[in-house]
Amino acid sequence: MAGKKLRLQIVTPQRPVLDKEVDFVALPAFNGEMGVLPGHIQYVAKLNYGVLRYKEGETEETFAVMGGLAEIEHDNIRVFAEDAALAEEIDEEAAKQKLAQAKASLTKHDADIDMELAEIEIKKALLMLKVKKKAPKF
Amino acid sequence: MESLRDIRQEIKAIKSTKQMMLTMKMISSARIKKAQQQMEDGRPFAKKMAEMIDNLRKDIQNPSSEIHKLPAYRFFDNSRSDKNSVALLLITADKGLCGAFNAVALRAALKWVRENSDKEKYVFVVGKKGRDFMRRLKIPRLHLAGELIGIFPRASYAHAAMIKDAFYNLFRDHNISTVDLIYNDFKSMASQTLISKRFLPFDFDEIPGEENVSDFIFEPGMIDIFLTLIPRYLSASIYRYLLESQAAELAARMNAMEAASKNAGEIADSLSVKLNKVRQATITNEITEIVSGANALNN
Repeated sequence: MAGKKLRLQIVTPQRPVLDKEVDFVALPAFNGEMGVLPGHIQYVAKLNYGVLRYKEGETEETFAVMGGLAEIEHDNIRVFAEDAALAEEIDEEAAKQKLAQAKASLTKHDADIDMELAEIEIKKALLMLKVKKKAPKF
Repeated sequence: MESLRDIRQEIKAIKSTKQMMLTMKMISSARIKKAQQQMEDGRPFAKKMAEMIDNLRKDIQNPSSEIHKLPAYRFFDNSRSDKNSVALLLITADKGLCGAFNAVALRAALKWVRENSDKEKYVFVVGKKGRDFMRRLKIPRLHLAGELIGIFPRASYAHAAMIKDAFYNLFRDHNISTVDLIYNDFKSMASQTLISKRFLPFDFDEIPGEENVSDFIFEPGMIDIFLTLIPRYLSASIYRYLLESQAAELAARMNAMEAASKNAGEIADSLSVKLNKVRQATITNEITEIVSGANALNN
């Protein structure tokens, strides 16, 4: 498969995040991480809250992806996520604060607070921090 | 006759109003570019969600499919829903001063309410104008299911998701059969059209799709993909309607303010003509008095 490339697009409802030719993609599929190389079978996968990695030549990048779907069709990978963030752009402090806030609201047992929403916030914040740690340092 | 001072004051007042309208116009035209960009950015996601639903068309329409047993299937077929309970999503602006923008939407909403007079009506309103209007209506079996105020001009996908959740609850709690939609569509800078249409259940002819439906492997399974897809498709659609209305509101305000400031200019012009005439008349009057006074002395 030398010379063949994958086209990776990451799209969120707010905006297209990424459109790039890459060599390899690892998706956070629902049943575990899933690697995709050129020539993959046509596939639609549900995504988890997780880490998306891709390799292009020697460089490797990491994304935080908040659920959604991925579609693989003729070496085109389209990721449709509720939200996505490049590891380098994540603000570690902000994520930590959000995590603390969400945790606090869970312990309050207030009727006004949507438990599901708070749990999602925790998931998001944890993921952001996880991705941040994994990201290659420059 | 008005005194010179009165007219001068009036001109001053009109000119400052005109200045204010021009400023409002400028604010709208500055924001509209951003609103248009936002619409542009949201399009790929919405389009793809629609295409993926279209890919599942065969499975959804197949009567023996598992999908037919899911509660979410009622977004496609409302034969098991309560025909006497309907819902409306009404999108208006928070503020006025934008021409007929709110008026046409409210008129359409009133028409909808009258057409469904014998049914249980649940209305979700976006925008203060629509909310106030709905609250004033005293009509039996009309319920305000939810409201979203002050989101413009910063409507986001999260707002759309909130509206989607509200309708999920209506489907669950009141077994509503249809959701209609009233909003202003952004056609161009110069024109906005009122859209009043059925939103749910889905009309497959309205979902854009490709002719060649390809075969995919679904993981973890078609049903799961379907259930992931539906809320996202709904939110993305609602998000699009919010953005359309947001851009249309700004365009309408821009046009209304431009017309109003033009009118103000014309009024100011005609007032200054009047001012000059009155001033001239006063001067002529004074000269006549002086001349006739002098004549009287000479005699």
